[in-house]
Amino acid sequence: MVTAASSFLPRAEIGRLFDALSADGRRIIGPTVADGAVIYDELAAPADLPTGWETDTAPGSYRLRETGADRSFDYVLPVTSWKRYTHPAFVPLTRSRRDGAQVLVEPVADDPPQLAFVGVRACEIAALGIQERVMRAGPLGDADHVGRRTAALVVAVECAAATSTCFCTSMVTGPEVGGGADLVLAELDEGFVVRSGSPAGADLLATLDLRPAAPAEVERTTAQVAAVRAGIGEPVAAEGLPERLRAALDSPRWEQVAERCLACANCTLVCPTCFCTSVGVASDLDGLEASTQRQWDSCFSQGFGRVAGDANFRPKVKDRYRQWLTHKFSTWYDQFGSSGCVGCGRCVAWCPVGIDVREELAAIAPATAPRGPIPWPPAPAAGHAPAALAVVEPARHVAATITSVTPETADTVTFRLATTDPELLAARPGQFVMVELPAFAAPPISISRIRPDGLDLTIRSAGPATAAIIALGAGAQVALRGPLGRGWPVESAIGRDVLIVAGGVGLAPLRPVIEAVLAERPRFGAVRLFLGARTPADRLFVAEMNALAGRADLEVAEIVDRAGPEWLGQVGIVTHLFDQATWDGSRATAFICGPERMMQATASVLRGRGVDPKAIWVTLERNMACGVGTCGHCQLGPFFVCRDGPVFSIDELGTAFGREGL
Amino acid sequence: MEPLQLITPGRRGARADSPNRPRIGIVKFASCDGCQLTLLDLEDELLAIADRVDLVEFAEATSRRSSGPFDVLFVEGSISTTEQVEEIARLRAVSHRLVTIGACATAGGIQAIRNWFELAEVHDTVYPDPTYVESLAQARPVSDFVAVDAELRGCPISPAQLREFLVAMVTGRRAQLPDEAVCIECKRRGVVCVAVADGIACLGPVTRTGCGAICPAYGRGCYGCFGPRESANTASLASWFSDSRSGPEVARLFSGFTAWSEPFRTTVDAHGGPPGQVELPEESHDA
Repeated sequence: MVTAASSFLPRAEIGRLFDALSADGRRIIGPTVADGAVIYDELAAPADLPTGWETDTAPGSYRLRETGADRSFDYVLPVTSWKRYTHPAFVPLTRSRRDGAQVLVEPVADDPPQLAFVGVRACEIAALGIQERVMRAGPLGDADHVGRRTAALVVAVECAAATSTCFCTSMVTGPEVGGGADLVLAELDEGFVVRSGSPAGADLLATLDLRPAAPAEVERTTAQVAAVRAGIGEPVAAEGLPERLRAALDSPRWEQVAERCLACANCTLVCPTCFCTSVGVASDLDGLEASTQRQWDSCFSQGFGRVAGDANFRPKVKDRYRQWLTHKFSTWYDQFGSSGCVGCGRCVAWCPVGIDVREELAAIAPATAPRGPIPWPPAPAAGHAPAALAVVEPARHVAATITSVTPETADTVTFRLATTDPELLAARPGQFVMVELPAFAAPPISISRIRPDGLDLTIRSAGPATAAIIALGAGAQVALRGPLGRGWPVESAIGRDVLIVAGGVGLAPLRPVIEAVLAERPRFGAVRLFLGARTPADRLFVAEMNALAGRADLEVAEIVDRAGPEWLGQVGIVTHLFDQATWDGSRATAFICGPERMMQATASVLRGRGVDPKAIWVTLERNMACGVGTCGHCQLGPFFVCRDGPVFSIDELGTAFGREGL
Repeated sequence: MEPLQLITPGRRGARADSPNRPRIGIVKFASCDGCQLTLLDLEDELLAIADRVDLVEFAEATSRRSSGPFDVLFVEGSISTTEQVEEIARLRAVSHRLVTIGACATAGGIQAIRNWFELAEVHDTVYPDPTYVESLAQARPVSDFVAVDAELRGCPISPAQLREFLVAMVTGRRAQLPDEAVCIECKRRGVVCVAVADGIACLGPVTRTGCGAICPAYGRGCYGCFGPRESANTASLASWFSDSRSGPEVARLFSGFTAWSEPFRTTVDAHGGPPGQVELPEESHDA
């Protein structure tokens, strides 16, 4: 919507705009023709603009057409999106070093480049806004993104043409440019109607000293964009789409689209809002000096859903397609308050086999489909506040020295770590830390004891990184990042009975709960501790648990799946310990940790015993990498397990708990 | 395939005077030697690597010879003769870990295209006098004969991946060898998709990355030298190609250096293989 306050820039003088934008050394990034497409790249002069080029797109096809016209912005969308500049494909994260027993991990931070983005369309402004909400959703936001976005000047262009893959009208992001730009251009044959959208834009416009735009000129630009709107129509029935998709998790169409889908990830990589990344590690030959960088990744690759031990949460292509589509159009609302799609149509054009997301949406969640019942609450329930989040800077690593190593089982040890870091010492039961050894990918490890002078970590060897970490001896250092995540809501159990159910190494994150409850024992009702293990040799903290069993103020029961000759206790699965019990569960709060199947079985038996689903708490294992909800690996329905969990009530999780392929 | 986890922490940083350096061998079967030579391409770090491993068998670089045992044996080439069948079994028995390198060893290589034809027919085409040629009926990947612990793909393998593998081996970490599509690397690099923008047939969406997306970066389609990626949906891609190409043309597209590996092989068959029945038009744009 160009207003009467607009100015007019004659076409021959567009160089003045370039000069003004770059006057303070700012580099101009904008559209240019390269390799058979319009891409965003650095522009030296207006001659680099795609003047006289238009684009024709269709599912799986993108073609340039030379028109010979003087107009520079009649192409529709470049291949690249602005995320190449606001969320680059490669971003260095840390440099690290091992020097004897010492470990040093330092963040790598460069000053963001001063850029002017020229040619930003309405849908792309919306995408920049969405991306900003995603990358600022964490405590301090992603420093790299915030720096880049803040340093950029946005020069928008009103669309004067659309292509067959456009659907901004359905997603309510365009074609008219609203807010979010510093300057807005609308192109006419003879020049540009220009208006400012910010104080910075107004200052810039003032330096150009242009004549006011004539009302007729403004009207012609308004008519152009109105014609674009009419041309696009309303290709997607967006009203109620999030709810319809939630109800369509078992649609047969997922299987059908998976037959065509290549899972090549192109749709996510061209998407201006997809933000998932993974971390790559590089090191010298001895692993003594290392660096990490994050790089674009995608929920379409198999490795994205993989966790230690090679389990995979999304083994099938249909799982991955469903993850992408339901995230983009449904659970994105839960997480970030808007759709993740801006209707730019890049995913349609750049799909190598022409899968059209508009068609898939119409088939999977037709406008006439019922909108429920929904599989999980519409937004993460505020069972308790994610308090610790507010203080953790993603790149902050603290070196901590191992003061003692206690072997627990054949493959599990407990480290006692000394630290004076106030944030680590303020960790809450159920939180975790990322444990980094230079040259290795950092695994998430839950805290097994919070002491006044440090933390205990109980670590099982599940891959090369954990194997290398547990091979360290007393005196060695590791770097810790955290504490991360939302822990157990121990306070919610005050005045109630407490049930603690652990399977194997799952006792480690529960030990701080036991200690917190015992520290204020009179404030709780009956306390019952149920411990399961695969074999007697797999029991954790044996002496401590034996000591607890001797106490009169709590009940401890143990069971193993397979007994040995030395085992005189019970044999079977952990739910056998209480499926015949006579206590009333309605006054109890339960804290459960173990393999996902064990937690499902336990939760189900406890519900049967009257425990409220809002008071049954589990902690989930996922591929937690960034720990602050910006890399996307641990996504589960509307949740990031690392940030919204790892502790959840089964009421919050709804049917996302235990559902395959999410 | 589980990446190699060989070196115990005690071996970290072992040097030339240490008896604990891993004994490494590099051998070849039916192949061109190009993959072995990739080791020599690691020029900047070659001496440092040689310091950390004990290279006991590598005919391209040293006159030392060894018949084993090996901590890690790198094997290049496909198995194409009866002698090679016996030799690979012997080598497997004396190797703690066996790693295949390159398209020939991992997929059968370009020579596996003869697997679609009668051996005599191929003999007569290639050799004027095939009297002394003794070949198996098929050229096949090493994994058809012995267990393989890890593989490095490509024709030839990538120096960066070889370096990553060696560093991971000596430091005891998991090598980062991606198994996803070339498209991911292509898009990270900012290469314009040749399939969508030019209509060029590109195997990138079904091919494992690791090459750096070299071919699309030069304006031509990927021809699959790293072989199939995880979840390679060749049926869908071939069906898309079929809209504008004949069956034999589609078969020809999938019959490159890794034609014999599944699911490329069945895709060749499904579209009128054997391969090589048609000449493909040159498809590239002026990069």
